[in-house]
Amino acid sequence: MTKILTKHFDEPKLHELETYKRLDGYKGLAKALTMTPADVTAEVLKSNLRGLGGAGFPTGAKWGTVPPPDKVPGPRYVVVNADESEPGCYKDRVLLTRAPHQLIEGLLIASHAIGAKESFIFVRGEYQNQYDIVEKALKEADDAGLTKTCSIKLMRGAGAYISGLDTALLETMEGKKAWPRQPPPFPTVAGLMAKPTVVNNVETLSMLPFILREGGEAFAKIGSPKNGGTVVFSVSGHVEKEGIYEVPMGSKLRDVLELAGGVRKGHKLKAVIPGGTSMPPLLEKDLDLTLDFDAIRAAGTFLGAGGMIVLDETADAVEVAHNIERFLTHESCGQCTPCREGSFWSEEILERILDGKGTAEDMPNLTRMGENITGKVICALGDTVGVIARTWQQKFPEDFKKRIPHGQAS
Amino acid sequence: MSAKTAVKSPFSPEQEKALEGWTKAYPYSNMGLVEALRSVQDWNRMISPEAAARVGEIFGLPFNRVWGVVNFFPTFTIKPTGKFRVGLCHGLSCFLKGSDKMESCLEKTLGVKKKEVTPDGKFSWEPMECLGACEQAPALQVNDRLQGAATEQLIAKLKDLK
Ligand SMILES: Cc1cc2nc3c(=O)[nH]c(=O)nc-3n(C[C@H](O)[C@H](O)[C@H](O)COP(=O)(O)O)c2cc1C
Ligand code: SF4
Ligand code: FES
Repeated sequence: MTKILTKHFDEPKLHELETYKRLDGYKGLAKALTMTPADVTAEVLKSNLRGLGGAGFPTGAKWGTVPPPDKVPGPRYVVVNADESEPGCYKDRVLLTRAPHQLIEGLLIASHAIGAKESFIFVRGEYQNQYDIVEKALKEADDAGLTKTCSIKLMRGAGAYISGLDTALLETMEGKKAWPRQPPPFPTVAGLMAKPTVVNNVETLSMLPFILREGGEAFAKIGSPKNGGTVVFSVSGHVEKEGIYEVPMGSKLRDVLELAGGVRKGHKLKAVIPGGTSMPPLLEKDLDLTLDFDAIRAAGTFLGAGGMIVLDETADAVEVAHNIERFLTHESCGQCTPCREGSFWSEEILERILDGKGTAEDMPNLTRMGENITGKVICALGDTVGVIARTWQQKFPEDFKKRIPHGQAS
Repeated sequence: MSAKTAVKSPFSPEQEKALEGWTKAYPYSNMGLVEALRSVQDWNRMISPEAAARVGEIFGLPFNRVWGVVNFFPTFTIKPTGKFRVGLCHGLSCFLKGSDKMESCLEKTLGVKKKEVTPDGKFSWEPMECLGACEQAPALQVNDRLQGAATEQLIAKLKDLK
C-alpha cells in the first residue's frame, strides 16, 4: 500500500538529519526554494491536500487567502498545530517522534509559500518527550543552515484541549486564556498578533516534502477525488493491533479495521468512532464506507483527525456518551452559555441515567438540548456538545432505555 | 519607594533572569507568558498569587490578566502538586481499557486521594484528559512525560522515582 509519511518508519534513526537526508530529505524544500511562492501554492492546490487537523480545509486554498507582502507588508507567520488532544488521536505524536525533520521541512516549504521569515511549532505541554526530539532536530537544521530562509521557534501549551482550535491556539500563544475568536477575520488575514497567519496541522505540513519533490499531481493520484494523498489513522480501543496506519484517502473503513487486526478475538463490533470522540459513531453496516473528508459525510459523521476508536459489544453507549460529555464539560472554555451550561447538564443527565435514576424525560431532553446548542455557539467544541447528546442515544436507544427504570418517554 | 519595588520578589535571582528571558524569547513579550508560567509551576509545583503578581510585573501585565491565565489552564495549579505529578488518562480509549481500576490502584499505592499530595511532598496523582497515547491505554504520565500503559507493576515502580 502506498505510504508517504510512514514510508521509512523502519529506519531506526529517521529522526536524525543524516538519515533523513539520505532518504531524499530536504529535496522538496530545495525544489520549493527554486520556485516562486505563488508556484509553490499552485502545486499544493493541484495536490488536493486537505488539512488533516480535523476540518479538511484545502491547504493550498487556505494559503491563497494570505494577503501577499506587497499588499500587506510586515511579518506573517506559519504556526504548526501540534496540540493534538482529541481523544483517540495520537498520530501527530508518532510523526513528531519518528520524523521531526519531515515536519520541519514541510514548515519551511509553507513558510516560503506565504513569505514568512519566522514560524512557530506549538507543541502540547504533555508531549515533553516529543518537544525534546523536535528541539534537537531543529538544532541540527539550524546548524546545517536549513533555517536560513525562515527561523523556527518552539512553544508549549498548558493542558487545554481548546488550545488546539486555531484561533484559541493563537490566543494561547499571545499569553491569554484560550478563548476561541469569532471569525471573521480569519487567521490568514489577522492571526498571531493580528498578523497574517497560517495554522496547519503536523500531518498536513509533513505531506509537503513529498508534494514538492514528486509533484502535486502524483500526490493527487494517490487519493480519491478532491482528497489527495494518504491519511494516517490512529487506531485504539477494542482491536487486536492498536497503532497508526497510513492508507490512501478513499480507503474503506473495513480495510483500516483489518490492518488493525480486526475487533479483538471473541468479540463483536458495536461501533467505530472514525475521527476522534467528537465524531458521531458508525456501525457494522457502514464498514464499506469510503474514508475521505467528503464521502464520510454521507454517513452523518466526519473524518476529523483520524482518531479511530473501535468499540465491541462490551461498550455501553450511555457510559461512552457520558465519558465524552464529561470531557467536553471539562474542556469548554466557558464563553458561550449554551456550551458551558449544556455540556454540564448533558453530563449530569447522563450521570443520572448511569446511576439508574433516569426519568422518562431524559432522552427527549438530551435531544432538545442538543438541538439548542449546535449552531448557536462560537466554535465546534460547543457544536459537539449537542451532537454527542443526540447521536449516541439515537444510534443505541436500547442501551439508554435499559437503564431508565420507567421506560420510554411519553 | 515605588509600588513596583515595594514587593519583594518571590523568585531567586536566577529565576528572575529566566523569567526575563521569556519576555524576549518571541517577537512580542506577551508570547512568553505561558512558558514563563510553566517555569513557575515547575519550580514551585504551584502558582501563588504573589508569584503571578511578580510575573505580571516582569511582563508589564496587570495581576488579573496573569491570574486569569493561571486559572484557565489545567497545567497550572493554585495548590501544590507532588514533585512527581502523576497523570492517568480517563479519556474514552483509556476508560475502555480500565482507567477506573488504575485510579483505585494509584490511590492505594500512593496512599492519597486524587489531587492530594503525599506527606513527603513527593507524589500527587490526578485523572487527565486524552494524553495522545490512546494505543497505550490507560496512559500514564509523570511530569508531562509518557510512561506507557498503566499496570499495577508500573504504578508500584513509581515509588522508585528520585
Ligand atoms: C475543539 C477543537 C480542537 C482542535 N484541536 C486541534 C488540534 O489539536 N490539532 C490540530 O491540528 N487541529 C485542531 N483543530 C483544528 C484547528 O482548528 C485547525 O482547523 C487546524 O489546525 C488547521 O490545520 P489543517 O488545515 O492543517 O488541518 C481543532 C478544532 C477544534 C474545533
Ligand atoms: S462553543 Fe464552547 S468552547 Fe467554543 S467558544 Fe463557546 S464556550 Fe468556548
Ligand atoms: S484517550 Fe487516553 S490517551 Fe487518548
